[in-house]
Amino acid sequence: MKRFIAGLLLFCLPLFALAQDPAPAGDAASGDVANGETIFKQNCASCHNTSAEKSVGPGLKGVQQRHEFPWLVKWIHNSQAMIAAGDPAAVALYKQYNQAQMTSFPNLSETDIKDILAYVEEANAAPAAVAGAPAAAGAPAAQSGAPSDLFVLVLVALLVVMLLVLGVLLVVVTLLSKAVSGDAAAGQTGTPFMERLKGTLTKTANNPAIRSATIWVFVLLVTKALIDGAFNVGVHQGYAPKQPIAYSHKLHAGEYKIDCNYCHTGANRSRSAHIPSANICMNCHGVIKKESPEIQKIYAAIENNQPIEWVRVHNLPDFAYFNHAQHVNVGGLECQQCHGEIQNMEVVEQRSSLTMGWCIDCHRKTDVNTKGNAYYDKLVQVHNEGSKENLKVADIGGLECSKCHY
Amino acid sequence: MMNFKFKYVIAVVALAIFASSCGHDYNDTGVEYAPNMYYPVGYEPYRQIEANPLNPMGLNMRLPVAGTVSRANYDTQFGSGDSAKVDLMMYNIPRDSIGIAERTLTNPVPLNEKTLGEGKVLYERYCQHCHGAGGAGDGTVGAVYKGVPNYKALELNDGHVFHVITHGKGRMWPHGSQVDPEERWKIVHYVQQLQKQ
Repeated sequence: MKRFIAGLLLFCLPLFALAQDPAPAGDAASGDVANGETIFKQNCASCHNTSAEKSVGPGLKGVQQRHEFPWLVKWIHNSQAMIAAGDPAAVALYKQYNQAQMTSFPNLSETDIKDILAYVEEANAAPAAVAGAPAAAGAPAAQSGAPSDLFVLVLVALLVVMLLVLGVLLVVVTLLSKAVSGDAAAGQTGTPFMERLKGTLTKTANNPAIRSATIWVFVLLVTKALIDGAFNVGVHQGYAPKQPIAYSHKLHAGEYKIDCNYCHTGANRSRSAHIPSANICMNCHGVIKKESPEIQKIYAAIENNQPIEWVRVHNLPDFAYFNHAQHVNVGGLECQQCHGEIQNMEVVEQRSSLTMGWCIDCHRKTDVNTKGNAYYDKLVQVHNEGSKENLKVADIGGLECSKCHY
Repeated sequence: MMNFKFKYVIAVVALAIFASSCGHDYNDTGVEYAPNMYYPVGYEPYRQIEANPLNPMGLNMRLPVAGTVSRANYDTQFGSGDSAKVDLMMYNIPRDSIGIAERTLTNPVPLNEKTLGEGKVLYERYCQHCHGAGGAGDGTVGAVYKGVPNYKALELNDGHVFHVITHGKGRMWPHGSQVDPEERWKIVHYVQQLQKQ
């Protein structure tokens, strides 16, 4: 009996060993998953996915089945040398990915690479399904959810408004019918409702006090409207023209936080802030979102050598001079101070009035930053002798006519 | 009787149309008085009222002659006695010869607090949205764009960074039109500092 048990144990041992073998192979024996994850995220994640999905380079799922480990090490250390040496697998990969060179990582040791491979396998084992499911489910929900939410909201709002209107109408109808039927029941005069209404109206219209009050109110309202209108002549505040390409500042400057100066390269250097030329669009869109119809318009413009005719939003009259560099670079103003919350605008709108009063107002209020600038030292000294206020833009010629009008 | 009511209905509808017709039109600049006083007579950047009959496509502006270089970067002097005069006007090393740039170029801009600070500002303006604040390739755009490397995984000598900013490399497109040579050298300083961190 004992012998039998011993024999059974002996027989089972290799089974245990076999059963246990693949499990530690993933973490203990062949690589440290946590270390692999850190290295992967720092060095590889920008070009490779752990899944089979391509990004810049191939997805790494099943990479160990595709290539031998020593080959992988060689490739990671210096793929260029392998291609140059004419390794068939290396050359094929290089050609398949449009001759994009993979960055060499000679500093990664063999254990590091083992760790990375262990992490890739781990990511593809159980959690891949978990991580994949919400991503797959989340994407369409986010896409179809947003517009439908808005639609429902609008519908509900419309319904509420309609109900309100219906209620008001009902009240008016009941009041009117009460008045009419009440009079008819009393039968005091016997004249129809409309005629009595007409009589009262004529009486009111003939009252001289009411007449003159009405005329005065009318005259005053018209005068106010005329004055307001006159002050708004030539003021384009609220102007938000439709542009030839539906470019969104909200997406680029707001969501992706691209600095204004990245595209408007002139804001710091020159008089105008510059509308970016198509090559700056191509810095990103030469690679991403190429298929979008709006971006295809840029491609068409480049191919046909046609200018994109953007509609200018902020139009200063010819007799006023304005310089961006002076305000942005020297004065240190934020773009938003004059242009409003541009990072939230789907379509650019002129937020400020750009009137002379608006300019002057800011010149009177704004302190000049004189710190660390020897040019201002004596000026500040002279200014402080005569005034207790800080040195304002108005004090250094910000109100001179010929500063802007010449 | 019916006629009388009908008149009222028409009056109300007319009033409604009149009131709603004064809505704001975003494509309209509003009333302008004597626009010929406001419109430029001379040629202004980004402002053209009529098509120009002389130039192709009716443009006022014409492209500079091919090969034109700006005078701003000719004979640049950095600080006083910091370094010799450097001619930043030309950069003749072609796109595919990054090796030449790596071997021959050294940063002419002296490394000090001021230039490093300026480099940081320029980096935030032109690089950060892809390369990330720490240079790890984790910027807001980089996450979507893909393929932005971590600086720490790369060897970045002076000429390499300068060449890549000018001509681009891999998925990165050339940025030479946005960043002038002096600014590029300041960014080189800051990138190398990020790499050391």
